[in-house]
Amino acid sequence: MKHQQFETWILLDTELNQEQQRNLQVHLNQCAQCNSLYRATQQIAHLFRTSPVPEPAPDFSYRWIARMDRVENRKNRLILGATLGGISLATILVLSSVGIQLRSTLVYFPQMMLEMVTLITKWIIFLNQLWDIFTPLFRVSIKLVSPVWLYSVGLSLSGITAAWMVAFFRSRTLQKELLP
Amino acid sequence: MSITEEQWIAEAKNGDKDAFAKLVEKYQKPVYSVCYRMLGTPTAAEDAAQETFIRAYQALDRYDPTRSFATWLLSIASNYSIDQLRKMKVTILSMDNEKHAWLAPPANEPSPEKAALEKEKQAQIQSLLADLPEIDRAAVILQYWHNSSYEEIAETLNLSSSAVKSRLFRARRLMAEKWQQMQLVSVPQVNSTAKRIAHETSTI
Ligand SMILES: [Zn+2]
Repeated sequence: MKHQQFETWILLDTELNQEQQRNLQVHLNQCAQCNSLYRATQQIAHLFRTSPVPEPAPDFSYRWIARMDRVENRKNRLILGATLGGISLATILVLSSVGIQLRSTLVYFPQMMLEMVTLITKWIIFLNQLWDIFTPLFRVSIKLVSPVWLYSVGLSLSGITAAWMVAFFRSRTLQKELLP
Repeated sequence: MSITEEQWIAEAKNGDKDAFAKLVEKYQKPVYSVCYRMLGTPTAAEDAAQETFIRAYQALDRYDPTRSFATWLLSIASNYSIDQLRKMKVTILSMDNEKHAWLAPPANEPSPEKAALEKEKQAQIQSLLADLPEIDRAAVILQYWHNSSYEEIAETLNLSSSAVKSRLFRARRLMAEKWQQMQLVSVPQVNSTAKRIAHETSTI
């Protein structure tokens, strides 16, 4: 069997069956390297297992409660601080924005009034001009659209056409009579 | 898990710190010992163990009752210690012996010789662990002192079983090499050479 296999058995503390144990024993008797590794691992395991278990100082759990209290107090203080900080910040923001609005309104009030008057005057002028343009057009359009006017135009046009046609045919018969 | 323990967990989830303190009382030793082996000093171990229980208390809602509570705690303890090691870059595990007085107090006052031997053992252990990468160190600690299986170590350290095996293989080889060096250094030169010759002849 290979040297590496025994090394794995030794280092991983593998559970071995009887035959494997015999094989290992035979190899340990032949191979100084594995023998030395095996003895070192055994001695380390012995050292570890016979060493006293480290124990905390007495009243460990009381110290834990005290520490936990401190942690919770700190957390509560943080929450309180954050809440108060948030409220203060919100108040400052609201107050300052209201202040800015008030201030600008006070400073610009006369100007705003003036601009408003100007705007309204301009609108009145504009509407007046529109009125001047659209009133005659409106009047004319009413006349154009009037049916009486349409009938009279239609009748006079057909009268002219009829008169023109009569004159035309008359002139043709006159031509035939005069020219042989 | 016992019924009382389930009750303590349920009460602690409702914000009862005293109920959780009973769990702290019960599991302080394994948690502390993982932290101590990982970090190497009682001061760091105390801090890490306390922090482990604080984190566990705060994360209690995320605890899955089908899993072992001990494994869950050790998982928090190992991962916190790994983070601490990485943060502080503490590669040398020092032993502060003055603060070490309470370490495993025996029933009877130990003889100076025995105390010196224990101290020597602790120093040897810490120097074997000191050279291992953080995660490998945690795996070794869980295997030797908490009798965790590969699967349990894998679950605790969030690794695959095969990754745990290869890490332990590497770690144990490293420790064996270090151990062999330590043996050579600690024994007088002539003696150790003689021992080596004797060993080599006996194994041939
Ligand atoms: Zn070999």
